[in-house]
Amino acid sequence: MVRFENVGMRYGAGPEVLRDVTFVLEAGSFTFLTGLSGAGKTTLLKLITVAERPSRGLITLFGHDLATVRRKTLPALRRRVGVVFQDFRLLDHLSAFDNVALPLRIAGGQPADYALDVDELLSWVGLGDRLGAKPPTLSGGEQQRVAIARAVVAKPDLLIADEPTGNVDAEIGARLIRLFAELNRLGTTVVIATHDRSLMENTRSREMRLVDGRLVELRVRT
Amino acid sequence: MNEAILPRDKGAAPLDLMIAVMAFLAALALGASLIADRAAQNWQNGLAGKITVQILPPQRGDAGKTLGAETQTVLGILRSTAGIARVNALSQAEQVKLVQPWLGTGNLVSDLPLPQLVDADIAPGSDVDLAALSTRLKQAVPDAVLDDHSHWIGRLRDLAHTFMWSAYGVLILIAVSMAAAVSFATRAGLDTHHEMVALLHQMGAQGGFIARAFEWHYFRSTLVAAAAGAAFAALLFMIAGGLQFAGVEAVPFLPPLGLKAQELLWLSVVPAGAGAIALVTARLSVLAALRSIY
Ligand SMILES: Nc1ncnc2c1ncn2[C@@H]1O[C@H](COP(=O)(O)OP(=O)(O)O)[C@@H](O)[C@H]1O
Ligand SMILES: [Mg+2]
Repeated sequence: MVRFENVGMRYGAGPEVLRDVTFVLEAGSFTFLTGLSGAGKTTLLKLITVAERPSRGLITLFGHDLATVRRKTLPALRRRVGVVFQDFRLLDHLSAFDNVALPLRIAGGQPADYALDVDELLSWVGLGDRLGAKPPTLSGGEQQRVAIARAVVAKPDLLIADEPTGNVDAEIGARLIRLFAELNRLGTTVVIATHDRSLMENTRSREMRLVDGRLVELRVRT
Repeated sequence: MNEAILPRDKGAAPLDLMIAVMAFLAALALGASLIADRAAQNWQNGLAGKITVQILPPQRGDAGKTLGAETQTVLGILRSTAGIARVNALSQAEQVKLVQPWLGTGNLVSDLPLPQLVDADIAPGSDVDLAALSTRLKQAVPDAVLDDHSHWIGRLRDLAHTFMWSAYGVLILIAVSMAAAVSFATRAGLDTHHEMVALLHQMGAQGGFIARAFEWHYFRSTLVAAAAGAAFAALLFMIAGGLQFAGVEAVPFLPPLGLKAQELLWLSVVPAGAGAIALVTARLSVLAALRSIY
């Protein structure tokens, strides 16, 4: 599903923040990307989500070599990836419903066709009664659930979450991880970046650890 | 539900005002060109098919008697010419009325040796050899001058056309500056909504999807602002038309400054054009900006 070969990344003329990163994400896998703050987790996720270009190395996404793929195909690849951003990035002037519906609108869906799905999904994350609320009127945890609903509404093949439990207490964090595990069971490949290794307990998962821009440890937890 | 993706901008008032003023000026230029066009038509229709023979008063002898005899000769020649429909020597009173706007009603007029004017209509569809007629008149009455007004009509038509092309030039300049203004505003809008654009882009939105959010926004606000500007111009044209009905004398030769109802309708071209310019400009600016991100 995702393949990195000797990928290096630097911002502008700065130092390399990722070095010789090589790994493969199998379809249906559940992966934790761990590492201290500043280790390069967000940068690695940006490469997977086609938000940044690597400085060197080879990235293959859904079988497409990103170095040679035509520009016109990139939007279609990005649509197959759902992203939960660390800072949510909800649109403040849109209701929870419209925020969640955004990926479906981008894909050309009509409100009549997706309204039910969006309602259902928002109920599933416990926001069935806050459909019309604008993000600024929601609590941090509620905003996060809207962000998650938006990331999964279009049934992406790959779900990426950057520090999704950064802003919530341990209990809600554990519930979020169960939610991701549930999505994974339904077939979605999941990658979660976190600096909190306690999250990985009780989850069948693989850990990729970044230290100073290098992938140092790969292990499977069962 | 299904709200506009781009939030309504605060601080768009200066752009709206600018568009409204430009649309106002564009509507004035367009209205003026319509008036010039109509004036050219009227002059043409009013004067074409008419000829005038002017018999200059003789310098010596009994001026009145000679002029009378020469007038009869001219009338005779005109009446005997095939294709001339109606011939009429203007009376003294009619001639005085013609020069009145320039010379006033004083005694000056009755003391001046006025030339005798003879009007004639060319029968519709007939082809009179005006050069030959002129020669015949000149031979019989050396003081007679034939005027078929073509010189006048040509000059006025040239004037009207110059005016119209100038108005079109002004319209083009306004269109260009309107496009520049919208492109400037779109870029500012892209900056303001940078995060939103980046988000949509990350979610896999095609350039066209993002451009649509912007172009629709600028199309609507430009259409409204330009309609307001053009409506104000239309109001001025209606007032100018109303003044003439209210008995304010039109200046001689100047065409009426009002616009007819169907001409006023033409002014709606201005907001329609402005909206289209905004739509295309916003789209192109957004697509150009998107090309620079990965
Ligand atoms: N846009 C950027 N421009 C320049 N340097 C950046 C940028 N984003 C991150 N970095 C740098 O790259 C390194 C890795 O950052 P990041 O990927 O955000 O790490 P993490 O998510 O693990 O905390 C840090 O040293 C950070 O300062
Ligand atoms: Mg980070």
